[in-house]
Amino acid sequence: MRLVPLAPTLAAAATLAPAGAFAVDYLSADQAAKLMFPQADRFEARELQFDAAQMKQLQDLGVRARSARWPLKVARHAETTLGFVVVDEVIGKFELITYAVGLTPEGAVSQVEVLSYRESHGHEIRLPAWRRQFVGKTAAAPLRVGDDIANISGATLSCTHVTDGIKRIVTLVEVARRAGALA
Amino acid sequence: MKALGATWQCRARPLLGTLVEVGVPDDAGPGCVDAAFAAIAGVQACLSRFEAGSELARFNALEAGWCIDAGAHLQAVLGAARQLRDATAGLFDISCGTGADGWWLHGSQLHKRAAGTTLDLGGIAKGYAVDCAVQALQAHGCASGWVNAGGDLRAFGAAQLELQLRDEAAGGVRPFAMLGDGAFATSHFTAASRSRLHGTTRAAHASVAAPACLWADALTKVVAASGDATHPALARFGAQAWLH
Repeated sequence: MRLVPLAPTLAAAATLAPAGAFAVDYLSADQAAKLMFPQADRFEARELQFDAAQMKQLQDLGVRARSARWPLKVARHAETTLGFVVVDEVIGKFELITYAVGLTPEGAVSQVEVLSYRESHGHEIRLPAWRRQFVGKTAAAPLRVGDDIANISGATLSCTHVTDGIKRIVTLVEVARRAGALA
Repeated sequence: MKALGATWQCRARPLLGTLVEVGVPDDAGPGCVDAAFAAIAGVQACLSRFEAGSELARFNALEAGWCIDAGAHLQAVLGAARQLRDATAGLFDISCGTGADGWWLHGSQLHKRAAGTTLDLGGIAKGYAVDCAVQALQAHGCASGWVNAGGDLRAFGAAQLELQLRDEAAGGVRPFAMLGDGAFATSHFTAASRSRLHGTTRAAHASVAAPACLWADALTKVVAASGDATHPALARFGAQAWLH
């Protein structure tokens, strides 16, 4: 075990102001889709659209859809549907997490990959300007090597938001499938 | 991330109720990272009290006097928990006050000796899962890398992690130390924390460095519960601790 203190002393470090925000990109949405469906020869961009009745149905299933429109990728090999990929983002106490969910043609979760992670001081994350820098980021963000969250140690980060988000996506896809929107 | 002589690929998945990140050298084989995630998912399936079919959930549902057959993961963690319980005079208690002596591991048989004893491996299993993921990486030929389960982390080989501590009150992070070939964990306990310690309501922010993540993870609880960053159990497991 090699451990070398960075700060002059821990006591001093403990009294310093926090150093600030950081971020990491793991995968782009395209990279995640290819990782989830390596057999796919193409991905078709689709948009799920939910009407008022379906939004009510989602609500009855305990899901707040947030939006009536959800972009989704259909993984295909020739004429066969291999599954779907949905990208979403959730906000926690200090963090913003963008993630992709891969689903089977039957709508079951096959894989979840985190695309990017942003951590800030707690107050920044609620500021529109801070959040705006991530808008439209997920589709094009390159895989950046060299920065990561490996070094952060604190109270265990809760993934409740991601877990809830995955449930929401599963339900959205299920309602869309039942309506024949993914046939 | 600081690393010597290599560039890295990393991926993250939601596992163990947190975000798990795996980092390996850029030229590592394609199966390495998946094997590490699979190892963690395997541990979670056995040891989570939240999964109804897990061995742990089956033990918790037992009547007194009965036993279950414990698999390799459960045996390993219970063996370590027993050592920690004995080394801390019962301070480290995976029964969370429901009966520190109410469970007994005999060979592969996990016996329930007292009605009402239930186990929660939340204070130790995450570190064990990190160790299993590191083993999986090494078994796939990775000479260096790291695994971080929401702050319970371990680096091996050439990977050098620049540890940063999160400010739990205001957010943000501050630099702390460089870590190589070892593990580090931090636990934060306040009245409002998600993590709870049996028998204490004292606010504590405890970090432990240890050779393996199981010990780092578990010993943060010992340090937080005892309020002692020089607790004798630390030296026994090759660990160092900080309260801050």
